[in-house]
Amino acid sequence: MAAAAATHLSVRAAPALRLRGKGTCRLLSCYASSSPPPPSSGEGFSGKVGFLGLGIMGAPMASNLIKAGCDVTVWNRTKSKCDPLLSLGAKYESSPANVALSCDVTFAMLADPESAVEVACGANGAAQGMAPGKGYVDVSTVDTATSKLIGKHITSTGASFLEAPVSGSKKPAEDGLLIFLTAGDDSLYNRVAPLLDVMGKSRFFLGDVGNGAAMKLVVNMVMGSMMVSFSEGVLLSEKVGLDPNTLVEVISQGAISAPMFSLKGPSMVKAAYPTAFPLKHQQKDLRLALALAESVSQSIPTVAAANELYKVAKSLGLADQDFSAVIEALKAKEQNPQP
Amino acid sequence: MEVGFLGLGIMGKAMAANLLRHGFRVTVWNRTLSKCQELVALGATVGETPAAVVARCRYTIAMLSDPSAALSVVFDKDGVLEQIGDGKGYVDMSTVDAATSSKISEAVKQKGGAFLEAPVSGSKKPAEDGQLVILAAGDQALYDDMVPAFDVLGKKSFFLGEIGNGANMKLVVNMIMGSMMNALSEGLSLADNSGLNPQTLLDVLDLGAIANPMFKLKGPSILKGSYNPAFPLKHQQKDMRLALSLGDENAVAMPVAAASNEAFKKARSLGLGDLDFSAVYEVIKGASGSNQA
Repeated sequence: MAAAAATHLSVRAAPALRLRGKGTCRLLSCYASSSPPPPSSGEGFSGKVGFLGLGIMGAPMASNLIKAGCDVTVWNRTKSKCDPLLSLGAKYESSPANVALSCDVTFAMLADPESAVEVACGANGAAQGMAPGKGYVDVSTVDTATSKLIGKHITSTGASFLEAPVSGSKKPAEDGLLIFLTAGDDSLYNRVAPLLDVMGKSRFFLGDVGNGAAMKLVVNMVMGSMMVSFSEGVLLSEKVGLDPNTLVEVISQGAISAPMFSLKGPSMVKAAYPTAFPLKHQQKDLRLALALAESVSQSIPTVAAANELYKVAKSLGLADQDFSAVIEALKAKEQNPQP
Repeated sequence: MEVGFLGLGIMGKAMAANLLRHGFRVTVWNRTLSKCQELVALGATVGETPAAVVARCRYTIAMLSDPSAALSVVFDKDGVLEQIGDGKGYVDMSTVDAATSSKISEAVKQKGGAFLEAPVSGSKKPAEDGQLVILAAGDQALYDDMVPAFDVLGKKSFFLGEIGNGANMKLVVNMIMGSMMNALSEGLSLADNSGLNPQTLLDVLDLGAIANPMFKLKGPSILKGSYNPAFPLKHQQKDMRLALSLGDENAVAMPVAAASNEAFKKARSLGLGDLDFSAVYEVIKGASGSNQA
């Protein structure tokens, strides 16, 4: 299979200047000198932006767009979740279709493939409000088939489609430091690049629809497997009389030092799992990654083993905890040995 | 300060050289004596046997490849035990299981010597650059005496208490590392087989929460198919085996480590044991549809 060509841009987290214009979102951004100037430098995004889905990720992302001076219209299944955004200046529409109708580009950040399809293609879904000249940017994490399905529904109206799942959880979303893994319509990509730069620190264009989704799943499967290995280590160190906090410190000094370990390690040792990335979504990503692997007959044993642990964790009622709660599944295995 | 140094493999050679460059007097020994010559050129003296080295030096460091070599150097004829005694210290920086370390510790102490286990985290380059992380346990007074040497050899040292704690800490760290190498390999293979550019995966990983020096260093060399051994795969598999054994003894669930170990075993059976441990990628890559007959 030919590898998809990728273009990549890294930008500074905080644009140097932002101007508020009526009905437009004008961003004059300064880019790190090590990066080449972007094609759209000097001129920002002009138009109305829709945002569907105001959960853990959607709320801070939409909020960052509003703070950057964008004209944002929101919708969420539970209406009350829109209130904080409305008080920041967002408008409200009663359905994804109405948001899409009233906006030039509409973003969607939903929890899983089912919701993403429902919001895009269902009754009063975004596709109903799409038309030539409009764009739909789905930043949900879904499987490639779902992304292609949504893409077809959108483009059949004459509008353009970009899949753009993100790497990064709650804090990077709040800080505007997400990594966008986009694919699909490259004109739409260029058009929304200034918006991606508000919400993120880095963006990739990976070619045809499906490539962004696949890249996201691969990244998250590596992460999900690493979290289980780390959990095994924390528990083993505790069991043999070592201080797990010392393990975290030793790891931070060496070749396998990763932000995730330093960030989550201390709270995992205290059995605290404040939700930055819900365990149920991590397990969803592993399930989708396993399906992707199966489709190309790729064996991924540690991911398969890790997935089992996340399933156990879900059965223990930890679905809405942070995905680091998977360590509890290892503990439970010890207490309740399977025959 | 004068130290003896037993074992001049990938790690030992770099570590002894570092000590010499920092003004330590070093007496070296290696099973294949010819390997001592490079260190002699840097100012080292040669001991004909481990016993000869210990006879000459107040402190002797050992850096052997596995439990069997570590035991052999101590217990065999002309071994450390023949000359260790009161006033002398033995510091074993090999990576072994806690039981092996205890056995050596008891024997050394019985002869009146002091013992410190001090396995390291870090491979060839950190050894050359004096950037190892030292995980010591055992005799605290000996640890304090060794601090000047540890400061040359590493960027940070930990004293972890009783014998076995250093060995176990090292095994836990290397278990995680071995599993991470498998996770990376699975990601790179799947990316490649799904029509993505694996280098792009590396770029994305390097920007996020799971970015780490190992991925950054080994990722590109894996994609080039370059496996010069900084850390031989056979030693990584040895560490996985010892870690799993520790887990077995303590009834700790370790499914991902177990899956990783299987891949390293397969790699050894394919003759990849002397390559860098990142060569496990070849096993994962081989386990894909594109490689079926």
